[in-house]
Amino acid sequence: MNITEMSGQKAIPVIVQQVEPSDFKNITKKQFFFRWDQLKGLADLYKLTFEDSPGILGLMALVDVPAEYRIEIKLLTVSKENKGSGKQYGGIAGCLIAYAAREAMGKYEGLACVSLKPKTELRQHYINKYGMKPGGDQVYLDGHELQNLINIYKP
Amino acid sequence: MSYKKLLKQYTPEELVESFVFPVKYTAKQQEQANKDLAAARKISQAKMTEDDILKARLYQLRFQLEDYLKKDYDPAMNFGHFLDRYLKVLNKRKKEFAAEIQIHETLLSHLISNRREPNDSVIIRLELHSNSIIPAIDWYKLAEKEKEHQIRTDGSLREKESPFVTHNLKLAV
Repeated sequence: MNITEMSGQKAIPVIVQQVEPSDFKNITKKQFFFRWDQLKGLADLYKLTFEDSPGILGLMALVDVPAEYRIEIKLLTVSKENKGSGKQYGGIAGCLIAYAAREAMGKYEGLACVSLKPKTELRQHYINKYGMKPGGDQVYLDGHELQNLINIYKP
Repeated sequence: MSYKKLLKQYTPEELVESFVFPVKYTAKQQEQANKDLAAARKISQAKMTEDDILKARLYQLRFQLEDYLKKDYDPAMNFGHFLDRYLKVLNKRKKEFAAEIQIHETLLSHLISNRREPNDSVIIRLELHSNSIIPAIDWYKLAEKEKEHQIRTDGSLREKESPFVTHNLKLAV
């Protein structure tokens, strides 16, 4: 799985792993916008880092809903320097969402689903950017669209 | 920085490339959201083709194989185990599958029972057969994991080879 270095359009390999207790000292609200420590025990927390360096570039909180063969993305952010037009690396959020898709597919194969509750103004943009489908107020990926995202980002 | 401030500073396109914000529903909203999502999924599930379902099963096998590669060695999760599961996902008999990748049925049986190690040709043919959904490198790493464990732990081979080493380095280690 790769993200893109914006200055040279170079592909950089990254990995997604579970957040370790020792990571929380580096996960500040200033750098990652939210109080991630408050999600401990309520969601599975994942971090995206370079393959060969421990610095965290993005974070994601997932909640598994086995009864519905679904994984919900509760929260996701890139690090401060990777948002907006001046970002250093692109594709961080896409890689994290694709990782959620991989987790769902690994557990629930053909029934797998990834969903999120979007802010109203962003709903259509998740659909445009990640091929998500509308499901009432929520948006989701399953079937062909889930596989497409996995094929694009190769988690 | 609040969501409203971010919305003023960044375009929606930039925000979906950086965030999934927390959204809280009331119990009533959540109930409705669950119903709406279930209804939408029912329709998309009905549209799934046989190919979509088969691909999903193959991806599941691949991700489980890749997850195992990151874990400690487990003798039950060997090459034969995953090859057997591959055949089960495809719902193919050994004879049929052996013919499709042009290997002898006996070799296939030996690979599944882990009595033979796969060579590079078999590994490449498995990738080609799955249309690259399960890459050759995954099968290779699986076979290597087995080999690595064997090399690390094979005491009887060390005993057998010992007479051939007539002089070893007398170093304190």
